[in-house]
Amino acid sequence: MRPPVSRRNGLSAAMLLLSLFASAVVSAAALSVDSSIEPSQIALGESARLTIFTSGSGTLSVPLPVVPGLEFRVVGTSHRFQLINGMAIESTSTIVRVTPEEAGVFTIPGPTPNSPPLVLRVTATGVGSSSFGNGAAPGSAPLFPGAGAGASASASGLHLTPDGSAFVHLEIPRHEIFVGESVPVEIQVGMRDGFVESLNGLPKLNSDDFTLNNLSRQPERGPRVIDGKPFTVYTWHSLLAAVKPGNYSLAFEAPLTVRMRTRPLSESKLDDLLGDPFLQNIFGATVQKNIDVQSPATEMSVLPLPAQGRPPDFGGAVGSFKISTDISSNKTTAGDPLTLRMHVSGAGNFDRVESSMLGGSAEWKTYDPKASFNATDPLGYRGEKIFEQPIIASQAGTHAVPPLSFNYFDPTTRRYETARSLPLEVAVAPAVTVDTNVAPAIAGTPADQSHGGLRPDHVVTDARVASLTPLYFQPAFAGCASGLALLFVGGWTLLRRRERQRNDQERERQRVRAQLMRALLDKMAAAAAGSDTAVFFSSARSALQQALGARWQMAPELITIADVEARLEGGDRVDVRQIFALADEANYSGTDLEAADFEHWTEVVRRHLSAGEPS
Amino acid sequence: MSRASRSVLILCLAMFASASRAGPAPTPTPMAAEPAAAGYSAPALYNLANSFARAGKPGLAVLNYERARLLDPKDPDIEANLRHIRETSGLPPDARSRFQRAAQFADPRLLAWVGIFGLSLAGIAAWVRVGSKSHRRKLLLAMWVGICMLGVSVANGVALWPVIHEAVVIAPSTPVRVSPVTEEEPLFVLPEAAIVAVRAEHDGFVLVRAQNDRSGWVPGKNLVRIVPTR
Repeated sequence: MRPPVSRRNGLSAAMLLLSLFASAVVSAAALSVDSSIEPSQIALGESARLTIFTSGSGTLSVPLPVVPGLEFRVVGTSHRFQLINGMAIESTSTIVRVTPEEAGVFTIPGPTPNSPPLVLRVTATGVGSSSFGNGAAPGSAPLFPGAGAGASASASGLHLTPDGSAFVHLEIPRHEIFVGESVPVEIQVGMRDGFVESLNGLPKLNSDDFTLNNLSRQPERGPRVIDGKPFTVYTWHSLLAAVKPGNYSLAFEAPLTVRMRTRPLSESKLDDLLGDPFLQNIFGATVQKNIDVQSPATEMSVLPLPAQGRPPDFGGAVGSFKISTDISSNKTTAGDPLTLRMHVSGAGNFDRVESSMLGGSAEWKTYDPKASFNATDPLGYRGEKIFEQPIIASQAGTHAVPPLSFNYFDPTTRRYETARSLPLEVAVAPAVTVDTNVAPAIAGTPADQSHGGLRPDHVVTDARVASLTPLYFQPAFAGCASGLALLFVGGWTLLRRRERQRNDQERERQRVRAQLMRALLDKMAAAAAGSDTAVFFSSARSALQQALGARWQMAPELITIADVEARLEGGDRVDVRQIFALADEANYSGTDLEAADFEHWTEVVRRHLSAGEPS
Repeated sequence: MSRASRSVLILCLAMFASASRAGPAPTPTPMAAEPAAAGYSAPALYNLANSFARAGKPGLAVLNYERARLLDPKDPDIEANLRHIRETSGLPPDARSRFQRAAQFADPRLLAWVGIFGLSLAGIAAWVRVGSKSHRRKLLLAMWVGICMLGVSVANGVALWPVIHEAVVIAPSTPVRVSPVTEEEPLFVLPEAAIVAVRAEHDGFVLVRAQNDRSGWVPGKNLVRIVPTR
């Protein structure tokens, strides 16, 4: 082990060299001074650490503060140079031991007039923790007895890496836990100052049989001396829970970047000469390397929760709990909601603490409860879970809210426990009902003078309606109106369809008639060309019968000369009657007509046909 | 006109006549008989509202004025007293739209039967016009007259639709919350006699929308619907 004096000399020499090197590029920089005290509360007989931190170019002499009742003593000073953009920045940390001579609250003035003062609380009993007493992380008490004990902790309790640059240590209170039980654990990652470049991630659990919950985001950081070497220890707090029963090995690992020596220790005289890894790095004695540092395996025995004595409504809560209840008011009106609260406090796995609270009954109408959790520690291991349930008294009278119960497994007693609350009494007044149809009793009550401008009352008649609902929205009326509308629409649709069918039939008849007439005209033309008098006049008569039948709404074959003489007038009657007669004559006598006669009678027939066509 | 058309017309006229006979000739009755008499009448509701107004209960007064106006929308006394009670209670003026005012120009019962008559007239005219070759212009005119009567009736029904979902606040200050529980801080407070639109009901609480378009849950006992639900 290197003597501290030698180390300090080596450091001073290196600082001198660096000062000379830096003096060439020194430029003016603002000087800043800051101070902090840790912990801020200690017990009488313990000491706190006051750190005065100065940075910038040049030097500043900071006098020690003077506070009656406190003793200040410098225990160490560290210097650091940085070159940033060609500017030399010198940092100095002065560590001062602060020892109280009496209990009380002390205000320590800041190092400069503009600095905020620091407050140190000194209690008569051993409440606080000392930075110089046990070497634990400043500002927090260790979770377990013996954790971090000893200012110069022996390496026997810690497993350092082979080069002695780092360690990972797991502090766990018990090695026998139950399935589902949450156990607070502390994970420490120690990094030797100057040897470890960086911590590259959070510590990880190397077993799938456990879960790690509520791992603190920011670790606590503090110095610690192990085997005479300075370490910076990062401490995380978390809750460990086992997934299944069995015996398991548990370990943590942390990814680090370390500086490793390039020469064997036996050949490395530079360490002794320079004495500081920072200077070793400057002179090329170390290289950087990423490594995973693992904690030693910890044997854990995970026990199953006993099946015997398990309550039917056991929800998996493991720990030590107690419950209490209260209600928002002991007096209410029937129909008005109240809030029933159940407080479950203690330590354990609060995420499994559930309750359905009060069930529905004739006296109480209940709703689903809502839960909220107030932790009293950063891990959420201790605290209070509050269930709030709206309940409504359905009847007037004095009613008792039944006691509530909560089942959990206590790992200390190793059996299921039931916590019960006390019953609560509530006085329920009858609900106030308002009859909107009864006039208020004005007699004996003062009239509201602001309403004197009302128009007078009306004469009341016997004309009354059974309902205020407008007729439109009364089912009978709406049904009647809808039925009537459907009747009209349906009937109109049927009538329209029938009319359309009738028109379609008429159009079809006209089409057939037109075809027949065209055929008859063609036949007349063919007969005229062949001088066939009988066929010509027979076709002409048929064509005229078709035209007149459509006009007179009678069957064409029934139209005779008598009908023609009776219904037609003037030249039409003569022509049509003559065609009918010539047809009979040609049919029965075989008289031949000349070609000019065919043209004349064809024109007569065409004229009659065109006159009979619908416009 | 076909036989079916004549039958429907006779049926409609009979329905209209029976509806017209629903209210017998008005005869004065004493005020004391009001609460005992079954059913609603505009004068009785108006007098009841006046009583509540004089007793310093604007919520119940507005409720009964609104009910009276539902039966007799053109009564100037109802309008005047409703306006007076709103002003003296510090409430905003009547929020009815111009369409609602125009559509409620007459007794809704009468307008409902006018709609039925218009529907029948339009329907029968349409029927007759389908098969008829004569008087088609007159039938078309009758059809449009019937459609207009039906339109007036439908507009009146549309104007009344919001009213059947409205309620009046009868408690002095009614807190409106974001959910149907009493533990939360109220979003805002409804004054007595305010008219709100009822959106939903849940376990003794009513989701309402106030005239300023803000919504929330209020205890059902603090509200009374203008048109009582069965």
